[in-house]
Amino acid sequence: MPGAAREEGIAMSEEIKVDLELDLKGLLCPLPMVKVSQNIGNVPVGGVIRAVATDPGSMADIPAWAKSTGNEVLSAEKQGNEFVFLVKRVK
Amino acid sequence: MDAHTIETIAGVIDKKMTRQLKQYLDVCARCAICKDACHQYVGTGDFKYLPARRAELIRHVYKKYFDSAGRFVPALYEARDPDDNLLDELYESCYACTGCRRCMYYCPFSIDTQWIVAVGKAILIAAGRGQEMLGQLADAAIFKGENVEMFRDVLVSGFKDIEAEVREITGDPEATIPVDKHGADILYVALAGAHSIRPAAVIFHEAKVDWTISLFEAANYGYFFGDAEKAKLIAKRFMEEAKRLGVKEVVVPECGHAYRVADIFYEAWTQEELPFKVSHILEVVDRFIKEGRITVEKGRIQGRVTYHDPCQIARNGGIFEQPRDVVKALTDDFVDLVPNRAEQWCCGGGGGIVAIEEMRDVRLKSGSKKVEQLRASGASVLACPCENCRLQIEDLNQLHGLGLQVRQVIDLVVEAMPLPGNTAPRA
Amino acid sequence: METYLAITAIWGVYLTAVVFFVGMGVRVYQWATTPRSPVPLGMFPKPETKGARVAKMLKDTFLAPHSARIEPAMWIFAMAFHVAALGAFVGHGRLLAEFPVLPELLGEEGMNAFAAWSGSIAGSLMLVGVIYWIARRTFGPYKNLSVPEDYLLLALLLGVVVMGDHMRFIYGGTIHADTYREWFLSLLRLRPQIPEKILASNVGWSLGTHMLFTDLFLMYFPFSKLVHAIGAFSTNLTRSE
Repeated sequence: MPGAAREEGIAMSEEIKVDLELDLKGLLCPLPMVKVSQNIGNVPVGGVIRAVATDPGSMADIPAWAKSTGNEVLSAEKQGNEFVFLVKRVK
Repeated sequence: MDAHTIETIAGVIDKKMTRQLKQYLDVCARCAICKDACHQYVGTGDFKYLPARRAELIRHVYKKYFDSAGRFVPALYEARDPDDNLLDELYESCYACTGCRRCMYYCPFSIDTQWIVAVGKAILIAAGRGQEMLGQLADAAIFKGENVEMFRDVLVSGFKDIEAEVREITGDPEATIPVDKHGADILYVALAGAHSIRPAAVIFHEAKVDWTISLFEAANYGYFFGDAEKAKLIAKRFMEEAKRLGVKEVVVPECGHAYRVADIFYEAWTQEELPFKVSHILEVVDRFIKEGRITVEKGRIQGRVTYHDPCQIARNGGIFEQPRDVVKALTDDFVDLVPNRAEQWCCGGGGGIVAIEEMRDVRLKSGSKKVEQLRASGASVLACPCENCRLQIEDLNQLHGLGLQVRQVIDLVVEAMPLPGNTAPRA
Repeated sequence: METYLAITAIWGVYLTAVVFFVGMGVRVYQWATTPRSPVPLGMFPKPETKGARVAKMLKDTFLAPHSARIEPAMWIFAMAFHVAALGAFVGHGRLLAEFPVLPELLGEEGMNAFAAWSGSIAGSLMLVGVIYWIARRTFGPYKNLSVPEDYLLLALLLGVVVMGDHMRFIYGGTIHADTYREWFLSLLRLRPQIPEKILASNVGWSLGTHMLFTDLFLMYFPFSKLVHAIGAFSTNLTRSE
């Protein structure tokens, strides 16, 4: 999964319209996931949040949150010391 | 409220009925001695946060359905059917409760308000009003547990990144963060965040411990959410892992409720005896320092240091002295907060409330006693072995300009170790 | 007056005894038959041995040292009330038989004087305690916590204490324990009768009213929060499990 996300990630992030940017740098897990969850209601259904975190735990946390809440992580990739997520609100 | 929901709610109380609960509900004299014990009531003056009031809401329903006197003369006890107002207040009072049990400490009958609040949360969940964020965090943890292979690569690659930092700090290019190591002595169950892994890995490496890291985190949002089954499932993830790996000791990180769940609740929940012991990381670090397995030097930590007892580790977990001994090994300028140990004020960040955005105001107000204590101590560094406490106290620190460094204890330990790559403190 | 006393000081007492003991029995039975949760709810610091646990439980129950630390005023009033109530209870033992030793030491006059003093002190302390509690409930910022049960119990208690004090302060000099003992022992022998001396004096109205409140108070006891009188031992033991 991470491999697949990584390959498509850059291509997708270029064409996807981001509705909300979240700066989660410096937050410790599980707070990045909490912030994404708290903000998912702020984008319309089908809308996308771009979140940037620095805690590596978010690489598991945010996808797990998306799976269990029925939302979708379009991409999750490591860029230097940062972890960048594109999360789509499904419902 | 429709008859079906009322029946469901009464059913939850029936299912949760234990001798302890029944006695707590029967004996409370509503003397309100608990009023001065609760940081939330003291900090807000809001009636709904009075510990006895939190319990009283459950008692109203209990009297109506489970007590003959209450059925016979309901007016005498204000016995009533649950309605939307009751559930609204129950939501506010139960999910705000940090479960610190300071009220129980001072109660002349030792009534465990947290035990009653747990029933309140079960009622809310059954009525479809469980706290959403805590529920999501619990579900995500269970999802990770059920789909561990899906996350293995991501987790392992995260551990590799931390491993590189550990090598830098220790100056040992061979330092590792072992994963899935069968027969290791210690299974360290960290938090999801790297900050709980890095310093522990340095300490384990320096103490030459045969250890391995868990793929799961120790935090248990099922417990905060109030769903006993979910809480059990979440803890079960690493308990089963520990059994599979055949370790001798499970070590939980600097997290309050994780310790209490693992050491005190899990065996009672599952009615099984664990073939290993459960320790808090600071018990282990204290051991290492006293046995001379790691070296710490005084003078590397600047400023006066104080220590906050997390409720779930101290009053509710029984660990009072080891963390103090660890901190005292790092500095000559240690001062305790007043009151401390079993009487320590709750900081206001427990019970999952730091993840509940809508309760931010009451959370910050409820920290007033902690702020007073911290100011009075004159300390510039706070050592605190609980993540939720630290998040709360850091917020209080910012809000009140306390000028404190709020630190994880194992971070301070690593900082006090004479290591080559140990120059600047890390986030 | 004779009918009044027959109701409150004779048949009421029998009814109260039945309701109180059956009620308490049922309450204990309910507790005993509700399964205990295996989850240990104890808190720390926690005694290691069983003996130390019981000792701590007794200390917590009878002295409530933690409550004393957090609210000394409430503790002093509550303690004074409970100790005075215990003293009054022991004093009422003279209804069964004269105390041993004391009368020989003090003589009859001395004994009555001692009873007058100790009874007066206990009665006054209880009155102060009840008034404090009523005030605390009525004017405290947490007054909304109270339910009618709380006021009912305090009202009954106030009645018991005021009428007890009335007998002690107004008639204490004329009617002594031996007269009441005659009445009380007749109850126990199931040949109840009210002594002439009581019927001939207005003390009968006081006794009747004291007993009216006492009957109601004790009949309600098992169905109220006052079951803490026995439940506290159990809950305080849970504290160290």
